[in-house]
Amino acid sequence: MNPGAQVPERNAVAEPVAERERASATPVARETHGLRPPTAPAPRTDGPAARSDALERETRRAGALPMDKERTSPTLRSRQAWFANAVMSLSNELEPTAEEVESILTAGPSLSARDRLGVYRRAYVARLVECLADDYPSLQTTLGEDRFEILCRAYVAHHPSTSPSLNAYGRLMGEFCRDRMGPDLASELSGAGISAGFLADLAALEWAIVEVIHARSVDPLTPSGLADVPVERWADARLEMTPAFRLLRFAYPVNTYLQALREGKALRVPGAAPAAAAVVRSGTTVWRMDLSEPMCDLLQALASGETLGVSLERAALAFGDVAEDVAVKRVMAWFREWVSSGVFSRVMFD
Amino acid sequence: MVVMTNRFGLPDLGIGLGLRTAHYAHIVESEPSVDWFEILSDNYMQTSGRPLDYLDAVARRYPIVMHGVSLSIGSTDALDRRYLSELRALRDRTGARWVSDHLCWTGVAGKNTHDLLPMPYTEEALAHVAERVRSVQDYLGAPIALENPSTYVEFKGASMREWEFLARLAEEADCAILLDVNNIYVSAFNHGFDPRAYLAAIPFDRVVQLHVAGHTHHGTHIIDSHIGPVIDDVWKLLGDAYRRAGGVSVLLEWDAEIPPFEEAHAEALRARQFMEAST
Repeated sequence: MNPGAQVPERNAVAEPVAERERASATPVARETHGLRPPTAPAPRTDGPAARSDALERETRRAGALPMDKERTSPTLRSRQAWFANAVMSLSNELEPTAEEVESILTAGPSLSARDRLGVYRRAYVARLVECLADDYPSLQTTLGEDRFEILCRAYVAHHPSTSPSLNAYGRLMGEFCRDRMGPDLASELSGAGISAGFLADLAALEWAIVEVIHARSVDPLTPSGLADVPVERWADARLEMTPAFRLLRFAYPVNTYLQALREGKALRVPGAAPAAAAVVRSGTTVWRMDLSEPMCDLLQALASGETLGVSLERAALAFGDVAEDVAVKRVMAWFREWVSSGVFSRVMFD
Repeated sequence: MVVMTNRFGLPDLGIGLGLRTAHYAHIVESEPSVDWFEILSDNYMQTSGRPLDYLDAVARRYPIVMHGVSLSIGSTDALDRRYLSELRALRDRTGARWVSDHLCWTGVAGKNTHDLLPMPYTEEALAHVAERVRSVQDYLGAPIALENPSTYVEFKGASMREWEFLARLAEEADCAILLDVNNIYVSAFNHGFDPRAYLAAIPFDRVVQLHVAGHTHHGTHIIDSHIGPVIDDVWKLLGDAYRRAGGVSVLLEWDAEIPPFEEAHAEALRARQFMEAST
């Protein structure tokens, strides 16, 4: 069969994500979170002992060039270590005392030294929470702002940023929801009918959207490019997936749920049910597609480098008793949709 | 008043606007008449995808200047070679006229707060930063411009004020200055100094760019929020700085509650009346 020859029903949904503003020279929402008491546990780097451990772990590179020099300014370094520790300590218990702060920082015309430091403390967590909210808008909607902030503060405490870029800061949220959320938050959410597994799947879907935005842009295989492949060569052809393609299997139907949220439909968090989805970017548009099990198997086979012949045979098995002409028509429709969504970048032959 | 131009020979690009994602589509599709755009360098690093596609489209049409927030020039951690490599590659990709960042540090011991943290203004810090600026300039093969940040604390034991630190740093490291007049206004209020004293101390032959922005007044302190229109007192500072620098590029930053493009650009163009009033 020639999968490029049919017109499909459209399953893919364009993801209305705007480009996110990551870096900014402004202290994001410094004051908007200022009155809410911190509730998350402190990062492991908190406290004088942990701080000195962190500094001890640093190593100087052999044969350092001038740009590699460290610790050439001992007083400056100790001040920076203290300040960073004070800013990144999320819990009230680890906030420096007024006396300690006043020994290092000056008071201002209207604010105490400790209040001035508080501007930076609030900005630190607010900026990272905002970054996570940009990446996980549906997670935020599902949890509500307060619970989402609790989750994010826990994430920030557990995963302080170690990169100059925020583009990948939220990449561990799915894993965090599944394994590291902490018993108090997990218990509260469970009481609200929201399981850690559901949140982890939803986070994985939202992170896939972020990933395809940042994945390398390539020219997609066009419908005519696919249709031009001679019929006799189809069986041996392989399709290269675009770098901006992600195939996901879930324990919960999170793509259907996310689409309902996007459409503004009030929706209960669904129960467990196996599901799959693809996320792909073509040009500036990100597409999300619900996938049936045969569709997922077929895409997975293609993505693993199987020939079209082998991949289609597997898909045919999954159709079971479906009449061959019906199955062929369906598969052709799938390919048309995948091609028009930019899933493939080129056809290859051995 | 003697009108000077910068000693680096960097061009006066006119009045520019910070490139923001909310405006991508409008800029690419409508190609509005704008003198130049400043990009947030970090938004185009550690990505290979859509942000760079948009940036390429903008850079084909407009002059670009790169402005970063993660160089962390004041940190006592080693300079980040990967970051510098990406910075240089981005500069080469966009043909950016120059590269700037802030007189600050963003983290230490491998952690990044993603905030512009204040320096203690000491001789030790000055020597430390000057050495690092020279290293970065050697690596990039061009002078960088450092911006005075808004600050909310000052360290005890400082031996000089920020303006002296910045002026001496620029001389000792032979770097350029991106003077943010809103930041001067904000820090002047927060620390109780006269912004005119700040301007008087700046070596304007090293100033290659001026920043202006809105801020948020909280009564006891001002936050450099980059929200909303610029207040007249800040515009007047811009006019004063422009007169001292002469023929220098001006840029409006608008980073929160970003309005439609034309509104933001119109606000940037308000600079004209204060630039003209000062000549």
